[in-house]
Amino acid sequence: MTATTSAVGARLPRLEAAGKINGAARYTDDLARPFMLHGAILGSPFPHARILSYDTSKAKEFPGVEAVITAEDFPYLPLGAIVKDETILARDKVRYVGEPVAAVAAVDRQTALEALKLIDIEYDELPAVLDAEQALAADAPLIHENLASYFKIFDCRCGGNVLSEQSIAEGDVEAAFATCDVIVEGEYRTQAQAHAYLEPCGALAEVDDRDKITIWSSHQSINRVQANVSEALGIPMTQIRVITPRVGGGFGGKMEATVQPLAAALARKTKKPVKIVLSREDDFAMMRTRHPTRVWMRTGAMRDGTIVAREAKLLYDGGAYSDDSPGVLAFGLYMARGPYRIPNFRATGQLVYTNKLRSSGFRGFGNPQVTFAGETQIDELAERLAIDPIELRLRNAIRKGDKWVGGQTVTSCGLAECLTRVRERSDWHARRNAAGRSIEGRRKGIGVTALAHICGVLGTSAIIRLAEDGSIVLNTGSVDIGQGADTVLAQLCAESLQVDVSRINVVAPDTDATPYNWGTGASRVTYMAGRAVAGAATALKQKIFEHAAAMLECSTQDLTLAPGGIVAVAGTDRKVSFFDVSLRSHYGVGGPPIGEHAFVYDGEPFDPKRSTMVGFPFSNLGVHMFGAQVVEVEVDEDTGKVTPLAAWLSHDVGRAINPLAVEGQIQGGFVQGLGYALCEELVWDDGRLTNPTMMDYKIPGTLDVPLAIETIIVEEPEPSGPFGAKGVGEPGIIGAAPSVANAVASAVGVRIHQIPLTPERVFDAIARS
Amino acid sequence: MPRIELLRPTSVEDAVALLANREGSRCIAGGQTMVAMLNAGLVEPPVLIAISAIEELGAIVEQDDGTIRIGAAVCHRDVAQFSGCTGANAVIREAARVIAHPAIRNFGTIGGALAHADPAADYPTAVVAAGATIEIAGANGRRTIPSEEFFLDYLTTALEPGEMVTALQLPAPEAGSSGHYLKFSRVDGDYAIASVGVTLQAKDGRCTAARLAIGGCGSTPVFDPSANALLLGSRCEETAIAAAAELLVSRADPVDDVRASAAYRRALIPRLLRRAVRHAWSQAIGVQ
Amino acid sequence: MSTITIKVNGRPRKIAIEGGETLLEVLRVQLGLTGAKRGCNQGVCGSCTVLIDGRAARACLHLAGLAEHADIVTVEGLASDGELSPMQQAFVDAGAVQCGFCMPGMVIAATALVAENPKPNDEEIREGLAGNLCRCSGYVKVVEAIRQAVHSKGTAP
Repeated sequence: MTATTSAVGARLPRLEAAGKINGAARYTDDLARPFMLHGAILGSPFPHARILSYDTSKAKEFPGVEAVITAEDFPYLPLGAIVKDETILARDKVRYVGEPVAAVAAVDRQTALEALKLIDIEYDELPAVLDAEQALAADAPLIHENLASYFKIFDCRCGGNVLSEQSIAEGDVEAAFATCDVIVEGEYRTQAQAHAYLEPCGALAEVDDRDKITIWSSHQSINRVQANVSEALGIPMTQIRVITPRVGGGFGGKMEATVQPLAAALARKTKKPVKIVLSREDDFAMMRTRHPTRVWMRTGAMRDGTIVAREAKLLYDGGAYSDDSPGVLAFGLYMARGPYRIPNFRATGQLVYTNKLRSSGFRGFGNPQVTFAGETQIDELAERLAIDPIELRLRNAIRKGDKWVGGQTVTSCGLAECLTRVRERSDWHARRNAAGRSIEGRRKGIGVTALAHICGVLGTSAIIRLAEDGSIVLNTGSVDIGQGADTVLAQLCAESLQVDVSRINVVAPDTDATPYNWGTGASRVTYMAGRAVAGAATALKQKIFEHAAAMLECSTQDLTLAPGGIVAVAGTDRKVSFFDVSLRSHYGVGGPPIGEHAFVYDGEPFDPKRSTMVGFPFSNLGVHMFGAQVVEVEVDEDTGKVTPLAAWLSHDVGRAINPLAVEGQIQGGFVQGLGYALCEELVWDDGRLTNPTMMDYKIPGTLDVPLAIETIIVEEPEPSGPFGAKGVGEPGIIGAAPSVANAVASAVGVRIHQIPLTPERVFDAIARS
Repeated sequence: MPRIELLRPTSVEDAVALLANREGSRCIAGGQTMVAMLNAGLVEPPVLIAISAIEELGAIVEQDDGTIRIGAAVCHRDVAQFSGCTGANAVIREAARVIAHPAIRNFGTIGGALAHADPAADYPTAVVAAGATIEIAGANGRRTIPSEEFFLDYLTTALEPGEMVTALQLPAPEAGSSGHYLKFSRVDGDYAIASVGVTLQAKDGRCTAARLAIGGCGSTPVFDPSANALLLGSRCEETAIAAAAELLVSRADPVDDVRASAAYRRALIPRLLRRAVRHAWSQAIGVQ
Repeated sequence: MSTITIKVNGRPRKIAIEGGETLLEVLRVQLGLTGAKRGCNQGVCGSCTVLIDGRAARACLHLAGLAEHADIVTVEGLASDGELSPMQQAFVDAGAVQCGFCMPGMVIAATALVAENPKPNDEEIREGLAGNLCRCSGYVKVVEAIRQAVHSKGTAP
């Protein structure tokens, strides 16, 4: 055990990496409980239909089957993060192909799957709404007839198939556009992207002798699982315990309920543990997707490059159930102005229901879509104004102290540095000058994106305890979905208490044992849970000091921490160890030292005198993060294939608590973004997904992405952040699509307003031009 | 768990006898397609006849007359690494190299791929371009069939019930011949949106033999001797290739699917063909 | 139901099969070797990759009943005497491991690659790992890890 004073800034591999690389790590499907049953879920065959009747008798009699459930086994118990429009199983109606309609628990998976085939459900098919524009039509079939009566946690302007209408406005866009020298306008379309985490959704539920349910699952939030199961089954949270095994990725698709309520329901019914793990096909078809969108936008500037106005109209396709969609639309509106000091801005948005699987949070949370539109427009402006694209962005870049849309102050901003760093590292001007030259039918091009995002939202807490042996117990309830939260939070704790990370017990999130944390999303864990950790460490330190002061007969003011769990009288060699303090506090006087901190994101609320915000589900959001990404591509004009050659990714993270982890998040996010930009798209035919498989829905592999990806960390300390840190979980993905699109334009002189930029799409665009 | 009887005959004759006698039985070699289909519930054979251990099926033999016999159970990786696939037969080696991914290539077999007959897969197009013949064994003994007659329709071959593929026979490489397989897909390792297999022979600067096959653009590899003929006597100039392409486009019957539209595939054919033919031609010229 | 013996990580192991079980199911359920994962069950994602006779193989595409003469190595068999193999250690040190779900398959594929080609260049590394999908890392640190393992001294993966 070596003491360290420099845990913050250390390039530490994941604390749990060894177990992940040698097979010891246990994910949900690796778990087994005695007498465990396996569950399987029957999905709806129709995109929109009334359920007329169920016949589960043959399934129930099938040897090995121990329970078959449908909505008839439950009272009406709606759930939903924002609008409570879902139930544990489809009730009265089905609203998308694959919607869970029934579930079975049996002695093994094969039996469960066989039993599904024996369930007879009679449907009366209804006309389906298959895209967002159709949803808006006056004569569109209604997907949620009872929309008005659903419980909603905010003033949700809804009606027909419109789930939410929202708008933001600042300044006077009409007047501003009238003064502009140049206006670009366009309509942009983005596709449904599947999360495609490598670990499919799964849950294992078991009921104990007090009827308390324990759930292990692949999730992003123990508290959201607990809340969702509580609502779905109508049982109190005191009866639900959620534990976290290793989680194989989430990206936003595992924030809300996946299969946990069904596993819990089957466990209660059979009185045996039940495990449900989705097949990949079911995961694609039954769970979630990124919102497909149509974005109309116009941006106006003066001849000198000052951007004075932007207007946007968003149409977000929310699928059949609301999930966290109103938040996604809101965030899209909030980010649509881009990271610029544009004084006049108006954005309106509509979120609609369609008969497809629910759209939900997905890394970027509504921002990638508007950034694709917005950053393409900045480039179009740059072209019309004959100003370099990076230069134009620098001239208009938001700065520390400026106000974001809504009036919140930008408290730290490294955007300008990010832009200048990528300009330098990519040899931007040289590559731009070389762009567009045809070599054997291939042309290179280079493109840039300036991006912003936030980290923060909602509530979190931390409890840090001094254990009997002087070690530290760190308890935050933050789920590590692979992004490295356990490691980073341990580093923050280690730095705060001047102990080595090996002396810290990072408690796996467990609703019985760990305090509330909204969840792993919104790039929030380093910043929010990190602040909680710093606060709890300070509180614990104070208690430790009180003991030490008594033991050393001095004042707490005279004390200082030294590496290795030592409390010393400053300037002397008089000291006690954490172990000494622990002995005193556990067995002598005072009691076991516990430090805690809890808070809800406490940044400035929106300013209603500055911005008109209608229909918004938030009153504040989080701290702003910034970045710039440059991508060089090669376009094969014969085929339209776009090959990314190199990327330079600069992100302002405030302070890199763990640079190794920060790089990994940026690289991974960016490559996920390349998939979004180039090859990933869920495709429906008549309401049915045509490609719910890894064979047909392609995510990038090693040969599809460049090795030459350079990450450049910029550190502009965020005053409110733990050691100045902000988040970085999401930003990596945001710049890929617009940078690639801008690079394609640079290569072949063609602007494409739709992603993914498949070879066919690019080919057609070149042919038309 | 599905009850499947697994049998391991040690000779082709035994395998064929089992195919005839055991109802619903199917061959399994590398299993890379068969087991995937089992997992997806697409097939439920009560009996699987494992043929990988049959010695003659696992061999690549360069025969005295220069022809090459690749046993049906030879895996893609071994074909990809077989240095004896020279001249026109390079098309086979190049196709083997780009099938799926290393783990699939380590066990997937040429016999399995040919019998599966997916027109978007790589071998069918390559073997037609190579002018290979396919050796089949059945109750009545062995027979061979030209590859372009073997593929009848989507996932449908000339195999009669009770028959199995035993080998691919490649013609002896001629002087001045070359072969090339060009695959175009969304991402690496995916099925082709469209692919081209071409073999050529050059003599005195003129094309004296040509076979062109297009993959992914119909229910079988697109092949027409008239298109081949359009290259004969030429130097494989743009105009000759374009004429051959036009004919092949008219013979193609691509579909709209998640990988691409039919219209795009038709547009790709002349472009990919030009690229593939020029590559093969420059090689043929270099070795004539 | 019949009982056969297969060789896994150097030891003979008895398994019970009906015939249709994949090697992946048998490893995970009967033998408790849960390192190989079920990401797609179609052979595409690579999370189930094991070694069969030294070659990278999709455990989800092999029938356990046909594996009697195979020499199977899973991720659990890479470490020796409790020490991670040099390749495994390189993955850890390079920060390649994020959520970790793809990692057993990834490190097996890397091990197979360098067993056959002890000094692969970057292109060869990428080709060797082309069949292993990762959604977290963007592959950058995976390739760095393999480079490190290849160039460090005494590397016998």
